[in-house]
Amino acid sequence: MGSQPGCTIRPVYGRILLVEDDPSIREVATLGLRAAGFEVATAPDGVAGLDRFRADPPDLVLLDIMLPRLDGLDVCRAIRRESTTPIVMLTARGDTIDIVVGLEAGADDYVRKPFEMAELVARVRAALRRRGRDGGGDLPARLELGPIAIDVAGRSASRAGREIPLTRTEFDLLVELAHRPGQVFARDALLDRVWGYDYLGDSRLVDVAIGRLRAKVEANPAEPALILTVRGAGYKATRATTSEA
Amino acid sequence: MGGIRSRLALAIVSLVAISVLAIGVGTYLFVDARLRDGLLADATRQAQFDLSILVPGALPANANASTFPATGLPAAFRLRGDVEEIVDFEDGKPYYSEADLSGALETLPAELKAVVSGGHLGYAWQKLAGRPVLVVAGRVASGPAIYFVFPADSIEAAVAQLRLGLAVAALVALLLAIATAGLIARGILRPVRSGSAAAARIAAGDLSARVPVGGTDEFARWAAEFNRMADSLESTVGRLAASESQNRRFVADVAHELRTPLAALVAEASLIEAGLADLPPDARRAAELLVADVRRLRTLVEDLMELSRFDAHVEEAERRPVNLGRIVGAAVAARLPEAVVSLPAEPVIVDSDVRRLDRIVGNLLDNARTHAPGAAVDVAVARESEHATIIVADRGPGVAPETLDHLFDRFFKADGSRRSGSSGLGLAIAAEHAALLGGTLVARSRSGGGLEVVLTLPVTRSLPDGNPVDTFGGEDASTPDATSATAHPRQPA
Repeated sequence: MGSQPGCTIRPVYGRILLVEDDPSIREVATLGLRAAGFEVATAPDGVAGLDRFRADPPDLVLLDIMLPRLDGLDVCRAIRRESTTPIVMLTARGDTIDIVVGLEAGADDYVRKPFEMAELVARVRAALRRRGRDGGGDLPARLELGPIAIDVAGRSASRAGREIPLTRTEFDLLVELAHRPGQVFARDALLDRVWGYDYLGDSRLVDVAIGRLRAKVEANPAEPALILTVRGAGYKATRATTSEA
Repeated sequence: MGGIRSRLALAIVSLVAISVLAIGVGTYLFVDARLRDGLLADATRQAQFDLSILVPGALPANANASTFPATGLPAAFRLRGDVEEIVDFEDGKPYYSEADLSGALETLPAELKAVVSGGHLGYAWQKLAGRPVLVVAGRVASGPAIYFVFPADSIEAAVAQLRLGLAVAALVALLLAIATAGLIARGILRPVRSGSAAAARIAAGDLSARVPVGGTDEFARWAAEFNRMADSLESTVGRLAASESQNRRFVADVAHELRTPLAALVAEASLIEAGLADLPPDARRAAELLVADVRRLRTLVEDLMELSRFDAHVEEAERRPVNLGRIVGAAVAARLPEAVVSLPAEPVIVDSDVRRLDRIVGNLLDNARTHAPGAAVDVAVARESEHATIIVADRGPGVAPETLDHLFDRFFKADGSRRSGSSGLGLAIAAEHAALLGGTLVARSRSGGGLEVVLTLPVTRSLPDGNPVDTFGGEDASTPDATSATAHPRQPA
């Protein structure tokens, strides 16, 4: 397959590293992603995947969980230690524990196997989509949440001048909550706006991401003062402006 | 059981009552007779002595009531014991040793008088001047009839005391019997009770239940027999369960092994489907069939895996407040948009698992679509005090009454067909989800033709009405200052 003669040159939407041990899935996913305009590099196991990631950092990692040599969860943790690149896990249906562990290891989202290519492409696009790029025009360039200064346009957050490393998901979640302090966001609403799920998304995505975000922005993550849980409803950013200690 | 126990208790009480009555009456009669016999023997002896020894020498032939005391006989009689006498001189003026007795002669029985006038000794138990007495009478040759009156108060008093004593004893015995009969009956029936408890446990699925065997009575033999039956039941069921779990494990393993090639197949088929338009007609048809068959295979494998997770008991419900109308509306919009949905005016909120409810309703809709193609389908949500219901009803061919019960069996197909898109597991899966949510799934024939499946869910907590948080089913909660930033649920039109 590939590009046929006379075919228009498609724009490259992103560079993806696919780490997957099953050759058929690896090949068909590569075909599908390339057809959708992505540039794809592949690796058949965890060690090769991590090497490839370091040698040529991609825009997004598609990571199978069951991998030879180095487990997908370990690859995920290793990547997170050095990068905020979006990671989408590929998991088997029903492995519910794997999903939570994967999200806690730093994955942004997951796609269950078996998947149809349209589904995978949609998840990859959602994970790569950047608020600044696709019509987040109603947002101010800068936001503040307590001691946290958020540079919306520059996609960075800092505390007392020191940058906080946030993943794409964590940053979007922070902006989503911080640009309307005091407003309660239901999990469904956050799934829709941050992850791009319009119905029956997995609310654990929100809960785990909130936990990771709190670990990075809260002074004491066990007693959050900036990002508050509203029981039975969802989450909200505090309205009170606290002075930096 | 309760009936037998009360009957047994009643029998015990009746038995005690009859025994007490028999013993009491017997005792009373015996003592009464012995006391009277004793007094009669003494009185007779005394009267005989008086008549044969004292009277003959002391009583002149012409004696009458006024001369009698002078004979000294009354004093002589009294000397020998507590006795009064009446002497009938047959002149209409009898002698009475005591004023109280005046006129008592008239009240003595005629038989006694006849016996005495015949020259014999006679007696009668009497009441004279209000006192119980024993009258012993006789005459000497042609002399006057002498009636000796012996007081019998002491006997009466003793007998009355005995009567009271016996009555009290009987009453105490009876009360004791009533008080303990229930417990005694319980004790007698204890083996029966433990037997029925064991049977109930077995019926409830605890095949390890046994009856304690004690002693060698009929109950013990019965208990041993019961336990033998339970042993064989347990081992048979154990063998069946082992082979079934082996079967299920095999199915789970097969499904698991199919997962990886299936994942590749599904992704490949989806790419082929996207490129169908570019294929030549013959290849296109084959590709279409391939895509449809891969989809069918995927449904089958995923359904099998879902069921094997239930079999492995690893499924857990994730409960939150859920708006049933919203679930139904979304499922209908996605699966069977032509179905008619009717919702109550008030939103029906239950504490349940959104994903599982979506799966149940989706499978019911798929079933209606597959087995009643083109027929009208009605979906209704209702709320009653203790539970909420979702009803999916179609106007299709329906199923025979005898197959209704099998509708939720795995791989059961009411019409015996092998239609595409149906694994034959959808309703079994729906039933497993319903059970996990504490609900039930029931199928019944619809009057006028068609099938109706009713999902009943418990309403476990009271939810305030009119609260916007709950109205949107918790997941779409928004505070009053929420604006367009909150994604609002897509309400069915």
